[in-house]
Amino acid sequence: MDLKIDPEELNACVQCGLCLPHCPTFRVTGDEAMSPRGRIKLMREVQDAGAPLTKEVLRSFDTCVQCRGCETACPSGVQYGHLMEATRETLAAKGKVTPRWQRAALMALNRPRMLRAGSAALAIANKFGLVPARLGLPANMPVRQAPLKTSGHDVYLFTGCVMDAWQRSIHAAAQRVVEAAGYGVEPTGALAPCCGALHMHAGLAKTTRKFARAMIASLPDRPILVDSAGCGAAMKDYGHLLGTPEAAAFSARVFDIQEWLAPNLARLPVSEPLDVRVAIQDPCHLRHVQQVHLATREALAPFVSELLELDDEGLCCGAGGAFSVLEPELAQDIRARKLTSIERVDPDYVASANPGCALHLASSGVPTIHPMELIDAAINNTPLPAK
Amino acid sequence: MTSFLDRIRAAAPIASRYGGSKFRKPTDALVADLEAALSPGQVRADGAQRALLSHDASLFDGGVAGPVCFPTTGEEVQAVVTVALRHNRAIVPRGAGTGLAGGAIPFGAPVVISLTRMNRILEVDVENRVAWVEPGVVNLDLTKHLKRIGFHFAPDPSSQQVCTIGGNVATNSGGPHCLAYGVTDAHVLAVEIVLASGEKAMLGSIGPQDEGLDLRGAFIGSEGTLGVATKVAVRLTKNPPAVKTLLLSFASVRAAANTVSAVIAAGIVPAAMEVMDQRITIAVENFVKAGYPVDAAAVLLAEVEGLADGVKIEAEQISAIGTQNGATEVRLAQSEAERELLWKGRKTAFGAVAQIKPDYYLHDTVVPRSALADVLEEIYKIADRHQLIVMNVFHAGDGNLHPLLLFDRRIEGELDRVHAAGAEIVEASLAAGGVLSGEHGIGIEKQDYMDRLFTSDDLDHQNRLRNAFDPSCRTNPGKVLPMAHSCADIQALRSVPAGVWG
Repeated sequence: MDLKIDPEELNACVQCGLCLPHCPTFRVTGDEAMSPRGRIKLMREVQDAGAPLTKEVLRSFDTCVQCRGCETACPSGVQYGHLMEATRETLAAKGKVTPRWQRAALMALNRPRMLRAGSAALAIANKFGLVPARLGLPANMPVRQAPLKTSGHDVYLFTGCVMDAWQRSIHAAAQRVVEAAGYGVEPTGALAPCCGALHMHAGLAKTTRKFARAMIASLPDRPILVDSAGCGAAMKDYGHLLGTPEAAAFSARVFDIQEWLAPNLARLPVSEPLDVRVAIQDPCHLRHVQQVHLATREALAPFVSELLELDDEGLCCGAGGAFSVLEPELAQDIRARKLTSIERVDPDYVASANPGCALHLASSGVPTIHPMELIDAAINNTPLPAK
Repeated sequence: MTSFLDRIRAAAPIASRYGGSKFRKPTDALVADLEAALSPGQVRADGAQRALLSHDASLFDGGVAGPVCFPTTGEEVQAVVTVALRHNRAIVPRGAGTGLAGGAIPFGAPVVISLTRMNRILEVDVENRVAWVEPGVVNLDLTKHLKRIGFHFAPDPSSQQVCTIGGNVATNSGGPHCLAYGVTDAHVLAVEIVLASGEKAMLGSIGPQDEGLDLRGAFIGSEGTLGVATKVAVRLTKNPPAVKTLLLSFASVRAAANTVSAVIAAGIVPAAMEVMDQRITIAVENFVKAGYPVDAAAVLLAEVEGLADGVKIEAEQISAIGTQNGATEVRLAQSEAERELLWKGRKTAFGAVAQIKPDYYLHDTVVPRSALADVLEEIYKIADRHQLIVMNVFHAGDGNLHPLLLFDRRIEGELDRVHAAGAEIVEASLAAGGVLSGEHGIGIEKQDYMDRLFTSDDLDHQNRLRNAFDPSCRTNPGKVLPMAHSCADIQALRSVPAGVWG
């Protein structure tokens, strides 16, 4: 079956296996079918050799977190993300992956009112303990949130879908930090409801392209700051996804907020560093996809007493967008490795620049915090969340 | 090499590879018994799994795996082997599948024993400088685990971030730093194994003296043909107080090779001495961006370690010897980060070649250090004759060559030229007084060359040793020894009725 993978990209893998230890699902299963090398081999068997698409082959493709840790480990420069995205898109079009209920849920992400109403209902249910823990909802999920207000037109702050509904306080902190550096901020809100990253993961690339075109039209000219690593990675990929010069120009205006802040640190007020030991958890889409994870360290260093590194070379935490909900067992096994690394440095907080990772880790009791919340606390004396 | 695979195919005919039968889940008594001995989740017999485990990192494409087992203890390995014995089926142990000589390629649909889930570090005994580990522990994971107490596991093959201790034992792995420290054999004190009969045996001991025959020594490097390792006692090596890494650039590969010989001749034993030629350096630099000089014909990466004062003196000596031999630039890594980046480049060199061609054939021979420059020159000529691109990256300090022949298997006839060139490279190495393999092993790759290095009597004795461990020749049959010297293997391979496993 033609998976519609670019044959040159598929052929780039030499099957050396150096990716294996950097793959979270191989790490916890020891199963070649759950490794990048194995998945690529199966793609070749299906696309080039006419092997049938058995349930085991589908399972192999389905269990990929799409963290892309294998890409930074690959000396041959295999574009694994492209291979898996093409595979999922082809399989979704044939109805082999992403069942209808998932598609329906994903469509809600682009409808802010529906999402907010649903989230409020979830928040209330959560307070009464009616939501299964594996969904990883934040314990203090707000029922009602104060709106973000435009303070100027120097930069956009991309607010997105779930994050805006569940964790708007992080956007508020990010906005205060950017304003403290002397920039006027326009939160994107309903201008750009969703980046389409989760749709891309699920093989619904057509939807992502639609979102991308709409967003490019509605956010002209200014830099777009993103405080969610997954969204930032997706938006930086619009150039490749749409293949147009204006999409490429748009992607060039997208910055992870730490990436943008690092060279602007001198504009922030001087403050005493917070007396906290902070471990940095690199979201995969910041470290392996955007590859700007060092900026997080640079941006945080002046504001906390100690920065701690985890010793797992950026191995995925198992959140993976909706992965932790769709594959809870695998996600928890993967998280257990991350927790061991965190325990070894024993921090006060774990700073994560991606809402999915933060929620996934927090639901096992890790005191997570967004880097922007730490900087906000240091320069604006806002209270830190309880550990 | 293909001749051997043809013979295997004749012994146990393989049905059309993708005709569907390979992907049909067999539900025979063997799988049921294996599932009863382990648990259903630990046995996989689906076509996808078997297709994947029919390969390792080598080019050999004729493997056919039977059911795949994932034991988690030595007792479970025993149970698997016992079931296989009852069904008269061969067994093939497997680690991370990074072997380049085809040692883990299954022939005749054997029971594949994947040891990836036996990955616990059981005990670290700092006082006696020994650790007990399971065979599926990743080499670099062990070294990282030991880092906080100031020790490491010395063998550091280029694939150390992924390869397992069990695989290191199977192939007697080396690595850049084995120049000073010796290969795996020098760092494994004892191995607990499961024999083909299902019995357990302990080879070697962690005590000061071995009793009787050195069976541990016989097992290390036996490539899974004597049994399955289930527990390994590894020696812990103290991390050196000081390390310096030098990068020397040369205008010719010969000058780099001569420098290596001159350094050893001067009585210096660096921890590592690695040479890369210009083509591979360009590919590597493109990936790691470590500042490798891409305009040099060859680079020498030399590392010295020990007490700070001694290290300083040795680094100066190597630098001076390099300059005498025509080094155009000598650079000292200024930080730990720079050192790590240089080594990352060296250790990912093989994978990086796919930037140039989608396939590579990586050779592994050893020649006397003094013959390095001449053999290298010969290798470049051989590749030219066959119109192939060759890249050279090698453990220069111990004369271990790793020529990489690049090709694209989709181009008609290119793989044949690669095999022809490979054969000539082996001949050239042997003619210079070298041996067949430094560290990748014989597997199926070099089987047919064994009688070039060993006499018929040698090989018969090796076969008798094998028979002493495994009279039925059911552990990893069809490997290492040439077929003429291991007739019973043919029987093991034939025991599978044609078509049963597709």
